[in-house]
Amino acid sequence: MDSTINTNPPAPGNDPTEGLITGEHTYETITDKVSSIVINQRKQPLSWYVIFGGAFIMLNVMMATITHLLFKGIGIWGINIPSGWGWDIINFVWWIGIGHAGTLISAILLLLRQQWRTSINRFAEAMTLFAVACAGLYPLLHTGRPWVAYWLFPYPNVLGMWPQFRSPLVWDVFAVSTYATVSAVFWFVGLIPDLATMRDRATNPAAKVIFACLSLGWRGSAQHWQRYEAAYLMLAGLSTPLVLSVHSIVSFDFSVGIVPGWHTTIFPPYFVAGAVYAGFAMVLLLAIPTRAIYGLKDFITMKHLDWMAKIMLTTGLMVFYGYMVEAFYSWYGGDPAEMDMMKHRMFGPYGWAYWMLISCNGVAPQFLWFPRVRRSIPALFILSLIVSLGMWLERFVIVTVSLTRTAIPATWGYYTPTVFDWSMFLGTMGQFLFLFFLFIRFVPMIAIFEMRDLLHKSHHDDTNGNGHGVNGHTEAPPIGTQTTIPAGAGE
Amino acid sequence: MTHDFSQADSGFNPGQKCIEEQVLRFMDTEQKQTFDIEALRTKLTSTTGRQYWRGLGELAENEEFIQYLEDEVPQATRSMGMYVDRRQFLTLAGAGLALAGLSGCRFQPQRKIVPYVKMPEDMTLGIPSYFATAVPSVSGTALGVIATTREGRPIKLEGNPDHPDSLGKTDAVTQSLLIGMYDPDRSQTVMNQGEVSAWKEFYSKARDAFSRQRTTRGAGVRVLTETITSPTLAAQMKDLLTQFPEAKWIQYEPEGRANVRSGAIAAFGEPVNTIYKFDQATRILSLDADFLLTMPGHVRYAGDFIKGRRVRRDTKDINRLYVVEGMPTITGANADERLPLRPSEIEGFARAVAQGVGVDVGGAPVPAFNGDNAKYLAALIKDLKAAPAGTTLIVPGDFQPAPVHALAHAINAQLGNAGKTVLYTDPVTAVPSDQLADLKTLVADISASKVDLLLILGGNPVYTAPADLRFSEQIVKVPFSIHLAAYEDETSFLTKWHLPEAHFMEAWGDIRAYDGTVSIIQPMIAPLYDGRSAHEVISGLIEEPREGYYIVRDYYRSQGVINEDDFNKILHDGVVANSASKLRPVTLKTGAASAVSPAIARPSGNTLEVVIRPDTTIGDGRYANNGWLQELPKPILKTTWDNVAVISPQTAAALHIPYDTESATNTPMAELTVRGNKITAPVWILPGHPDDTVTLTLGYGRERAGSVGSGIGYNAYNVVFSDTLWNTTGTLEGGKGSLPVATTQHHYLMENRDLIRVGSIAQFTRSSYDKERLSPDDLEEQDKNEKPKSKVVEERPNIYNLDEYKYPKDPNNAIEKFGAYSWGMSIDNTACIGCNACVSACVAENNTPVVGKDEVLRGRAMHWIRIDTYYASDAAQSNAYFKNPKTYFMPVMCVHCEQAPCEPVCPVAATIHSHEGLNMMVYNRCVGTKYCSNNCPYKVRRFNFFNYANHHDVPVRKLLNNPEVTVRGRGVMEKCSYCTQRISVKRQQAKQIGVEIKDGDLVTACQQACPTDAIVFGNISDANAAVSKLKTEPHDYSLLGELNTRPRTTYLARVNNPNPEIESEASQSEKTRGDQQQRG
Repeated sequence: MDSTINTNPPAPGNDPTEGLITGEHTYETITDKVSSIVINQRKQPLSWYVIFGGAFIMLNVMMATITHLLFKGIGIWGINIPSGWGWDIINFVWWIGIGHAGTLISAILLLLRQQWRTSINRFAEAMTLFAVACAGLYPLLHTGRPWVAYWLFPYPNVLGMWPQFRSPLVWDVFAVSTYATVSAVFWFVGLIPDLATMRDRATNPAAKVIFACLSLGWRGSAQHWQRYEAAYLMLAGLSTPLVLSVHSIVSFDFSVGIVPGWHTTIFPPYFVAGAVYAGFAMVLLLAIPTRAIYGLKDFITMKHLDWMAKIMLTTGLMVFYGYMVEAFYSWYGGDPAEMDMMKHRMFGPYGWAYWMLISCNGVAPQFLWFPRVRRSIPALFILSLIVSLGMWLERFVIVTVSLTRTAIPATWGYYTPTVFDWSMFLGTMGQFLFLFFLFIRFVPMIAIFEMRDLLHKSHHDDTNGNGHGVNGHTEAPPIGTQTTIPAGAGE
Repeated sequence: MTHDFSQADSGFNPGQKCIEEQVLRFMDTEQKQTFDIEALRTKLTSTTGRQYWRGLGELAENEEFIQYLEDEVPQATRSMGMYVDRRQFLTLAGAGLALAGLSGCRFQPQRKIVPYVKMPEDMTLGIPSYFATAVPSVSGTALGVIATTREGRPIKLEGNPDHPDSLGKTDAVTQSLLIGMYDPDRSQTVMNQGEVSAWKEFYSKARDAFSRQRTTRGAGVRVLTETITSPTLAAQMKDLLTQFPEAKWIQYEPEGRANVRSGAIAAFGEPVNTIYKFDQATRILSLDADFLLTMPGHVRYAGDFIKGRRVRRDTKDINRLYVVEGMPTITGANADERLPLRPSEIEGFARAVAQGVGVDVGGAPVPAFNGDNAKYLAALIKDLKAAPAGTTLIVPGDFQPAPVHALAHAINAQLGNAGKTVLYTDPVTAVPSDQLADLKTLVADISASKVDLLLILGGNPVYTAPADLRFSEQIVKVPFSIHLAAYEDETSFLTKWHLPEAHFMEAWGDIRAYDGTVSIIQPMIAPLYDGRSAHEVISGLIEEPREGYYIVRDYYRSQGVINEDDFNKILHDGVVANSASKLRPVTLKTGAASAVSPAIARPSGNTLEVVIRPDTTIGDGRYANNGWLQELPKPILKTTWDNVAVISPQTAAALHIPYDTESATNTPMAELTVRGNKITAPVWILPGHPDDTVTLTLGYGRERAGSVGSGIGYNAYNVVFSDTLWNTTGTLEGGKGSLPVATTQHHYLMENRDLIRVGSIAQFTRSSYDKERLSPDDLEEQDKNEKPKSKVVEERPNIYNLDEYKYPKDPNNAIEKFGAYSWGMSIDNTACIGCNACVSACVAENNTPVVGKDEVLRGRAMHWIRIDTYYASDAAQSNAYFKNPKTYFMPVMCVHCEQAPCEPVCPVAATIHSHEGLNMMVYNRCVGTKYCSNNCPYKVRRFNFFNYANHHDVPVRKLLNNPEVTVRGRGVMEKCSYCTQRISVKRQQAKQIGVEIKDGDLVTACQQACPTDAIVFGNISDANAAVSKLKTEPHDYSLLGELNTRPRTTYLARVNNPNPEIESEASQSEKTRGDQQQRG
């Protein structure tokens, strides 16, 4: 299916932008290609309708589940005593983990000057937002009385009550809400120049007005660009620690507890690595079909996929190391409860989950050592699916298996999800896809101005310092200020 | 509707149901449904009898109606209306229909609420009143209780300290009786052949019928009752029989102690009553006798037994209990030496013991025992003979045949126990009779058309009579049959008249205890449902009915209690002084020990010995509709809501029935055939059960028990035959599918953890323990290593170790820091017999909801206390483990950690510490994240996954709630509070009079119920408090103390007294160590 791409592999060389845009492209064609998806609303491919329709149905299943849950109580899920958390928290952590790749790509890779982030950062960030939206539902709904869940926020009230700041769940509230807010702002700021382009290109008067409002009066002046770049970089700086903090704090939910299998110091780094791992798998899962459907293979090239696969491999190895350390320390620690828990993880009634986890997250990514695998679209897609499943299983193993095997054997129990656990989980997937497919239809899914910048750079790279300055990103306006195509203010 | 999101219970609201109905009807119009309940009601009122039932039957299939019922009577489904199959639902729908047609919205009329214009005498609003009364316990004997009533409604029963059986203690069944009184399923009107009738009509018809019998001197009259100990009722019956000399009085109940009676006759020639003095005995042998749980007097016996084995610092010796039994019972679990034998082998064993101690068995065959059994027998005989005369005790089980009882009497006589540890008195039963023979005669008489008038007072013979008597086919032949019962049960359905019986909390009466002591039953509340007592019914058969009070009062006048003050003193004390049965001198008949009962065929292949016993919670079926008892985990089995057929692991293997402890929720079913009668039962595989035997329990498989008890379990009466009764043979065939059985515990091994510490009394006494607080297993270690090892756990770094959580270790310091009170508890694992009384008492005290089988299956039982049950053996999974493991019990409720892991993880500070050291749950603040429960290493927290408190309940049930305890709403966590409401009351009372709470003045509900005083609660800052002293005992330890939680509840290690000749001390210690080692 990708013969043209495969015949044009990224050539080895020192040029970091090499192979990031393939085909014959000019500034004009890039803008046209990306903005036309939004402008020409009638030309949506059939597959958009199919996937969006399916997602919409699942979204409604979720709504029905939530309604039922609010009427009946969280007993409709399979949670019990001893397993007070089940799929609710598993899925929360899973979605939050998926949300990590977006900010990592946009912020950390930006700071590290990784040019290849350009074509994937926009939809990776969107993915982050939507994943966090899915994740956020769970902590709210998993409470026994969701109508008072706002008590977790520190707000002035007549009771004079504050949240209990020693609880990791309160840290969670801050971590997740901060992450959601900063990610949204970061995403929106990154969109402004493109929104202005859309405003200029939109033919539908209503769309024009909406894009005009959203573009906040962007004219593409040098001063705009200068401030924009500064703001964007600051936001990137702000987001960077969040990438590390959110999942560290989520992992505190477990590691602060004295539950055997939870109480371990390796959780923060290994959760963060796992989150990036899962996030990149999800980016791949979204990028592969999208670039095929919308013909964006020139922008999301094999080189992108290859590098993402490499990051997956790296973080996958870190995660696998985490599993080994967990197993080692439960033996080395010598606590009988801890040892029993590990024994039950491996050989107990949920042993299948552990070994599937090891296969998915430990064995499967090893195939990514081979360049041929990294450059095979079907292999990458399947591996990404496996990794997503593996990361879900990791949370299942941590939450369920640990809770059902605690200190007193007489209290050991079992956890079985109900149909409502399924409908809620599939429903959040529906919500995710629903939002994502709305996004690709109404917002430019690839950062147009950054792509033009990239194109500019790849053409002028050999003449570094040709008038744009060495520190072109911070001091001088990057592109378009010259003459031909001022971004967004063009036509 | 469940729109009410408010946290607290909205209280008793009689109008609510009507409003709900209006809402429903409104919704019906919205949904364009055709169903109209009013039209139905009108239609049903205009139909009668058979037509009525047919009308209901057709309606039951109507979809709209099913929808209506599902909304209206969710409690009928017992499972939050979620997972009910169609068939089950239709059954319930039928039951619900009756409600809709007969009472419906008018169930609780709306009344205006007005304050008392004139304050009732002796009653202050908000202050409970206490009344002494008595409740029927096992086999018609009494347990004296003190009933707590609030604003005229009884809400709790506690033991009566003056009553010989109770001594202030109760049992699990007694604690659960009140929910039976508030049961909305109880029968509410007089019924005549399926039609509503009235008492007046019944009395006039009955008097006609009785007067017609005068010509034949009552030859056609039969009265069938359960075992009667009531002197008043006996006098009334005597009166009736004087007027109708040809009439007959039959007593029958399945738990009737027929074998005890015939055993006494065989031994002494008369049906004397036997009373045991467990506190006087140092060596006790139980021959299949479950004297801790199911014998008359068991509450007293449990207390007496534990008196002889309470281990304290200076204890040198404790009693030794040998139990030879079939089905593992709590008595067997408390044995120092337990021997599992098939129940039919026990007679031979008893004879071997008798011969061994020198009783002349008159040439009766004494079977030979070999291997471990022979070793056990020899050691037992040696031990019995070595003990001084009159200090041993042989107790035969009620279900063992008469020869075993005779043998036990003979052994007791031989060992000089008669008059010392065994007392013989006049019978307790008013008229001792051969119950089974009488019942057979009754059936024969009915079938010969000799019976014109059958009056059944209580009991449910259609359900409980042996299958071969075909009682249900016979009873319909009686022209005039009357059944007085609390429920319209199987018997009521087949009799011409059904009379609603007043609950014993609603009517006057009297009853005798196991030793004959008489108590007067006082009503605590006017009958809720127009019920009458048996006394009143009998009095109305000849002339105008009299009120129960006058009947009882007049009887005691006739007995010499003329003075009103004397009578009031009886009522106040709850017992008639010196009314215990007289001691009776007895002489053993020669040849008493030589009787042999007919042999049971030896099991082979899939032909097994079948043993039938009453259920350990719902008895013979009389408590089948009691939700508290249904949900109470059966001791040892830990099953709820079902009865199971119990077999041993080896038998299961032989019959190819899968044994999977890890997924105990799906239990294989098997079909048992006894002489052509079949039952299909879930098979429960229980270590310690004898091989080639299957134990069934009674009480389930009810068809008309009520909405709670109908249609669950199998009916074991189907395989009870009048000649073999409780012990027979049958074939068991596996592979009949499977059934989920709801249990509250899945894992029974301690997995090498230091949870229940066990040691022998020899270890305990041998070691010095003055300086270090050591447990027996540590002592063993010390013996080996010759250097003392500290029990105090090394402090580990701990993130919870914040200053505010640092509690002083020294109890004396606590006063400085916390003021006068620091609450704490001590639980003695040696004294805990695993009887469930505490669990049941906690449910009654703390408004714990019933959640139903499906919820228990999901792991959501709400009990605040659980009895953790563990098996220990030389090695887990070994043969010994399966054959005869040691069984240990440990009650676990919230231990109120001083450094509680639940507290720092709650995001809203809903669980916090009080200055008195209580770990408190603020229901109003809880948002329900369940993190506290996840982080609780003891897993004692319970969560309201649904609105349990209101979901199942109809308004009348709310009358039962303890007003001092919040009714928890949906979505909040709850747990043991150390009965904080009781602490508050006592604190207020003490404050008012300016004193401190006296030690022993304040008891928790579990402590108050515990028949063995295993639970002691009090102020640990008071060094002289009982609880503080217990905490300084050498064998005091903290459960999971190594987690630095510093629990306020600590445990005393279990100390056994094994016979060194049966198991070497090494193996004993191996048993416990093997299970606890690998720690260091």
